[in-house]
Amino acid sequence: MAQNKTNLTRALVLLALAAVFFITLDLGGSGSTSRVRRMFDTIFSPVENVSRVVTRPLSGAWNAVREYDDVVAENDRLKEQVALQEGAAVAAAASVRLSQELLALNGLPTLAGINSVTAQVIGETPTNFSQTVEINQGENSGIKVGMPVLNAAGLIGKVTEVFADRALVMLISDPDYALSVKVVTKSSRTPVTLPPLPTEDAPTVDSVLETTDTSTTSSTSTTTTTILGFTPSATTIPAEVVAGAGSSITVPLASQLSVRETGILEGRGPGTRPIVRFLDATTRAAAIEVGAPIVSAGGSRSLAPPDIVIGVVSRVVERLGTAGPVLEIELVADLSNLSFLRVLLYQPITESGR
Amino acid sequence: MGRILRTIASRWSRLVLVALLLLSLQTTLFSEVRPFGYSAQLMAMFVAAAGSSHDVRVGAIVGLVSGFMFDAVLATPLGISAVVFGVVGAGASLMMQPFREPTWWLRILVVSVSAASSEVVTPLVNSVVGLGGWLNLHMLVAALVTFAAALLFAGPLIPVTRWTLSEKVSLGRD
Repeated sequence: MAQNKTNLTRALVLLALAAVFFITLDLGGSGSTSRVRRMFDTIFSPVENVSRVVTRPLSGAWNAVREYDDVVAENDRLKEQVALQEGAAVAAAASVRLSQELLALNGLPTLAGINSVTAQVIGETPTNFSQTVEINQGENSGIKVGMPVLNAAGLIGKVTEVFADRALVMLISDPDYALSVKVVTKSSRTPVTLPPLPTEDAPTVDSVLETTDTSTTSSTSTTTTTILGFTPSATTIPAEVVAGAGSSITVPLASQLSVRETGILEGRGPGTRPIVRFLDATTRAAAIEVGAPIVSAGGSRSLAPPDIVIGVVSRVVERLGTAGPVLEIELVADLSNLSFLRVLLYQPITESGR
Repeated sequence: MGRILRTIASRWSRLVLVALLLLSLQTTLFSEVRPFGYSAQLMAMFVAAAGSSHDVRVGAIVGLVSGFMFDAVLATPLGISAVVFGVVGAGASLMMQPFREPTWWLRILVVSVSAASSEVVTPLVNSVVGLGGWLNLHMLVAALVTFAAALLFAGPLIPVTRWTLSEKVSLGRD
């Protein structure tokens, strides 16, 4: 009996020390804990799959009882919304294509150039203290730790753990998630309206466009530019603009163009909107409008490529002193209802080697 | 051969197998069925049930072993849940110590309180190791959900833990 107690005490001490050892190892970024997880996954995965099949009717029944009315109401609302947005979607798709062509033309990185893997969500987090989902694609599909994950609406998180045929995705709402983002703000200056120019001082197309050969008529110009790969079409310009015949011209200043403030987006747990803190404390809250879009900032050390849509500003919280404003963000992706996701095969430098 | 059989049939092997089964339920059924948006913690209930039926050492060991297994499927640092469940298992056992012959409902209550406490201990341990952000009112709701679920599931879990951790093993002959 006494021997048994001694053995139990030894086992207890060993296990407690192992726990402290592994926590230290894991927080230090060691890869050995990932190997332990993969070994355990090899044993656990078949058991989990059997459990999933056996318990599916129970979880299905729970969802049917709990969400039936909501689903019917949402279905009606979505039908109406789809009808409204069908036209807008065509226009938006054309704008996106145009934007990608322009970015590619100028040698700028675009999402279209990054390969991706489509995955399905097969499980939610089993704990209340992490915001993760499990997807049905893993290392065998080329997925690695750190890769950004999107759904049809926008960014939803990043891959944090990869197994052979599945992976864990940390959602953007997890308090451990942080990402550099850009906020497109309005201009701080008012536009300048120039008086009507006399006919002889009117700007010609030559002075507006950087051209090598321009032939201008009163209403139509054919332009040849020096930009590689760009084939311009005939440009039709209203005669009165070229001639400046008595009308005012509003000239957009450089300061009138959208300003991009850079900040850090941080998750705050379930049911709470993520926030953006600014790197530049001099950012003025007045320059940021509610509804301004938030996109990923990109950059060599960023966790995601640039210009992935994340959400819109839902509230601007001003702070006293020199501290810059804090923005509350309404995510465009509905994190409570994820089904099919897209993993961008883009591994940030900070996560390489994991 | 007899030694290997005894090891396979030992209560610690049974513990790993039973914990594996319960963990698969935790990651499937209990992850999807979320009252008020929170997942009831079956593993914490199992550990608390083990602690309430055995001494402090056994309760803590069951907690540490189950916690390591739980950590292996989570993205949090390996060992966090082990520490939390170790505390829960030992705590459940300590709560039962003042009662010489506890009634069935008292045991269920102790299991429920201990399991619910895991939802408070987890963010505390997270904060200690530098993973902040979870110390808020949400954890109280999560604890209430686990407490209510434990009132339902503690009844069946207590005999399961007794069978799992029983020391007598019948191998046909000794």
